[in-house]
Amino acid sequence: MADLKLTKIVKSYGDVEVLHGIDLEIESGEFVVFVGPSGCGKSTLLRTIAGLERITAGTMEIDGRVVNNIPPSERGIAMVFQTYALYPHMTVYDNMAFGMRLAKKSKQEIEDRVRNAADILQLGPYLDRLPKALSGGQRQRVAIGRAICRDPKVFLFDEPLSNLDAALRVATRIEIAKLNETMPDTTMIYVTHDQVEAMTLADRIVVLRGGYVEQVGAPMDLYHKPANLFVAQFIGSPAMNILDGSVASASSGKIAVDVESGGKATVPIAGAGAKAGDAVKLGVRPEDLRIAGKGETPIVNGTIDIVEALGEVTLLYVQVEGHEEAVLAKLPGYHQVERGTAISLTADAEQLHLFDSDGQSMARKAEAKEAA
Amino acid sequence: MVTTSLKTQVVALEAPPVWLFEPTLDNYREALFEDGVLQTLINSLIIAISTTALALVLGIPAAFALARFEFRGKKDLWFWFITNRMISPIVLALPFFLIARNLNLLDRHITLILIYLTFNLPIVIWIVTDQFRGIPIELDEAARMEGASQFTIMSKICLPLAMPGVAVSAIFSFIFSWNELMFGLVLTRTDAKTAPAMAVSFMEGYNLPYGKIMATSTLIVIPVLIFALIASKQLVRGLTMGAVK
Repeated sequence: MADLKLTKIVKSYGDVEVLHGIDLEIESGEFVVFVGPSGCGKSTLLRTIAGLERITAGTMEIDGRVVNNIPPSERGIAMVFQTYALYPHMTVYDNMAFGMRLAKKSKQEIEDRVRNAADILQLGPYLDRLPKALSGGQRQRVAIGRAICRDPKVFLFDEPLSNLDAALRVATRIEIAKLNETMPDTTMIYVTHDQVEAMTLADRIVVLRGGYVEQVGAPMDLYHKPANLFVAQFIGSPAMNILDGSVASASSGKIAVDVESGGKATVPIAGAGAKAGDAVKLGVRPEDLRIAGKGETPIVNGTIDIVEALGEVTLLYVQVEGHEEAVLAKLPGYHQVERGTAISLTADAEQLHLFDSDGQSMARKAEAKEAA
Repeated sequence: MVTTSLKTQVVALEAPPVWLFEPTLDNYREALFEDGVLQTLINSLIIAISTTALALVLGIPAAFALARFEFRGKKDLWFWFITNRMISPIVLALPFFLIARNLNLLDRHITLILIYLTFNLPIVIWIVTDQFRGIPIELDEAARMEGASQFTIMSKICLPLAMPGVAVSAIFSFIFSWNELMFGLVLTRTDAKTAPAMAVSFMEGYNLPYGKIMATSTLIVIPVLIFALIASKQLVRGLTMGAVK
């Protein structure tokens, strides 16, 4: 049980500032995922929490205690590394017992805890093996087991799955989710660049970019209500289509948008916030696009460039005039369409996202209702 | 060398060389017990082992610090170590002799040990530092999170993994100290005389006792062989230790 409070955390390496005043509160027992592109500072932030990096400014509190100058081993934290960091010359048992032996725990207690961790992770048969005799997934489980043995208040995972192959990654991800359920009081912080891991594991996601927090929220909040263009494009796969446009008319609760490439859309909006002629960006997720029926105003008109049929969905890459990147549409089921055919796409007004010229999201009407 | 060591002086000097002869251990007996080769072998052993042990004890922590910590002048220090080896030993022979004489350190084990240490320490530090650098820093960090001190990290985590480098540097150090002739010759008389110096001293005078020289040389080679075999086992064990992933 531990809650964390990060206040204005700054981390610099020499003259280079990599974290620019991060504020974050994490509640006891929460599963929080830090996500962002490479170099966004997510691993650095995790390492400052671990105590492996000293923070340059700000305060870090665990359970109300300022830990800025407290060594990693006294913070009640355990960490699972991307490279597992198992001691290669020790058996699985010794790997897990190492920390407790240093802490001069009794033999019986060490034995009990190792057995317990081994049970949780089904490592029983491998306790006498050296790490080199284990598969990647087993090694990662040992690394997790070593962390469990420490009985930490906070569990840190630094991209634990990125060295595993696709199938193992799914299996281990599920194991981590189960582990989270068996240890409901333990706070878990998880770093990844994989948004599927983020979406499936997290209670809350922290999206980072360039050392700043872009948005914090539950996975579905980030998906439905991205705070800005970056989050909108980062969360969701394939990424959201962004179309340039301008405000045709704005009335209370509604903004009509002329899409640069010729389409039109009306977005329900809470409050005004825009006037006619303002440049805006219209965001629409590939999975929200559908082929426009008769009488419907298309948002996008273009020609099909590439068709990817995956069985359960068909991905269409649509070339749109004046738009560099192809607009991607994800249609359910199988669609018999040919390259080069003209196509018109539309989406429900409630599914559209509107961003101002600074890339900030304009509050949608649907959200306003939810909030009320 | 071995065959000649088993020949009598007469047989040894025959030309063309004789291949079939009656072997004799007289050369070994004479060399060991009458000429005092045994004592010089013991001296050599004391000096070589002490030098190697000291070089490891001092060199390993230094190497760990160079590999893991950032401090000012690290690169210069690193280079300085190797410059110690750039001086031709013969240049130092006379100064060392004078210093040793003035300090009353002639013909003492400790003198040779210290001098050999100046040559061996850089080798140990260079090889072992490189070995430590090859160990992923995550292992250190994992151990740190578990409450290990830097000393524990070095001795329990990094050192076992650096054994191949430690073994190589130990072999180098031992062989260098064991085979070194010049300082052994210049700085010793009788008490601390080393085996190579002894072998050479047979060459004084008018006749060359080939059999005895070869017997002494054979005796010099044997411990090196044994030591290298022991150390190379460590080497192989270390190499098969396996990587992180």
